[in-house]
Amino acid sequence: MSETLDTSTLEGANRDALVRLIISLADSKRLMGIRYSDWTLGAPSIETGVSTASMTQDEWGHARLLYAMLKQLGIDPSPVEHDRPGEEFASLSALDHERGDWVGTVALIALADEALSTMLRSFAEGSFEVARTRVPKMLAEEEFHASLGAAWYRRLAAAEGEAAGLLRSATEEMLPGLLAWAGANDAAARAMVDAGVIGPAEDRLSAFRDAVRDLVALVGMDINTVEPATDWDEVRGRASGRPDEEACERARGDRNRALLVE
Amino acid sequence: MSSAGWRPDVTTLPLPVIERRRHAGLPKAVTSHMSGGRDLWSAPLEEAPDDRVQGTWDLLQEVLDPEIPISLPELGLIYGVDFEDGVARIDLTFTATACPCMEFIREDITDRLESEYWIDRVELVEVWDPPWTSDRITPEGREKLKKLGVSA
Repeated sequence: MSETLDTSTLEGANRDALVRLIISLADSKRLMGIRYSDWTLGAPSIETGVSTASMTQDEWGHARLLYAMLKQLGIDPSPVEHDRPGEEFASLSALDHERGDWVGTVALIALADEALSTMLRSFAEGSFEVARTRVPKMLAEEEFHASLGAAWYRRLAAAEGEAAGLLRSATEEMLPGLLAWAGANDAAARAMVDAGVIGPAEDRLSAFRDAVRDLVALVGMDINTVEPATDWDEVRGRASGRPDEEACERARGDRNRALLVE
Repeated sequence: MSSAGWRPDVTTLPLPVIERRRHAGLPKAVTSHMSGGRDLWSAPLEEAPDDRVQGTWDLLQEVLDPEIPISLPELGLIYGVDFEDGVARIDLTFTATACPCMEFIREDITDRLESEYWIDRVELVEVWDPPWTSDRITPEGREKLKKLGVSA
């Protein structure tokens, strides 16, 4: 484990890089919760619907703890959570649009949530003390998400009809952005590696590839042949694009502003 | 009564227009509900305990989890107690990162402890390390759950 990062002396580009990392993780968790919540009453079985409700709760709990990490850097999380325009959201590109079918949502659970966990594992083993103490609980909760995602992925990959083809399409569409994000290696990401906050890009990338290799092989894909996306936005630390406006309104709580509590 | 021709006797009211800014129409801070374990609380102590830390632990034994009817220490949510200059500091965790009872628990701890004349203030510190698991339930808590037919 790295030595503990002294956040009081962190400034300039290094501080910005840590802020970017935290917000990207937190935004992704919040958006992931929204995408899961859309299936609490429409999943293929009641049991799975209950699971998506539970996972929604987890994701928003993780988002809350992640946004709160900004306090360590002297930043009030409230405006970050509730007052940013959609073009500043730094969530995974896989979460930009509502998945119109259950197959795409399964790909989100099995692949996108795993990309987040890959980064979180690296974060938990790094030098940022708050991540070391908070992230292990998140990862423990994520074990259940991974089990559900893998079970459904296997089931759909083996299903007759068009399910396997749709799953492959969703996987093909999603993977390049996830690989780029998990293996981020721009100046800000390298600054975080140098500060010991996260591990090297090649380690994160290979960890993510290892985690999803067997699953994507079920739809005939070799993870080693999939290249990361190249349309990278260095300001936000994600691929280009942005979440749809309705999701941003839900993430910010625009319709609930009168009910906001401290 | 035949439903034919029946019309609900209701008056249609326009929805209130809520200004889209923070705290519009409501107090800045809205306190949440309180859990149901309060009827088990004993009266405040007439004399302060010699060992304030142990005394605080004893009081916490009266504060039940809102969902599971055993105390917070029995559930393993209290990671530490400190006492200095009238301030009780409680290191507290939750069973889940999005536990819906967080506010209930915080309020119940604070209200129970601050009912004691020798506790001026309660400081709650949220901790997540080590992560809570059901392994942290004490043998006493486990026994109570068993009697209630709850496996843990």
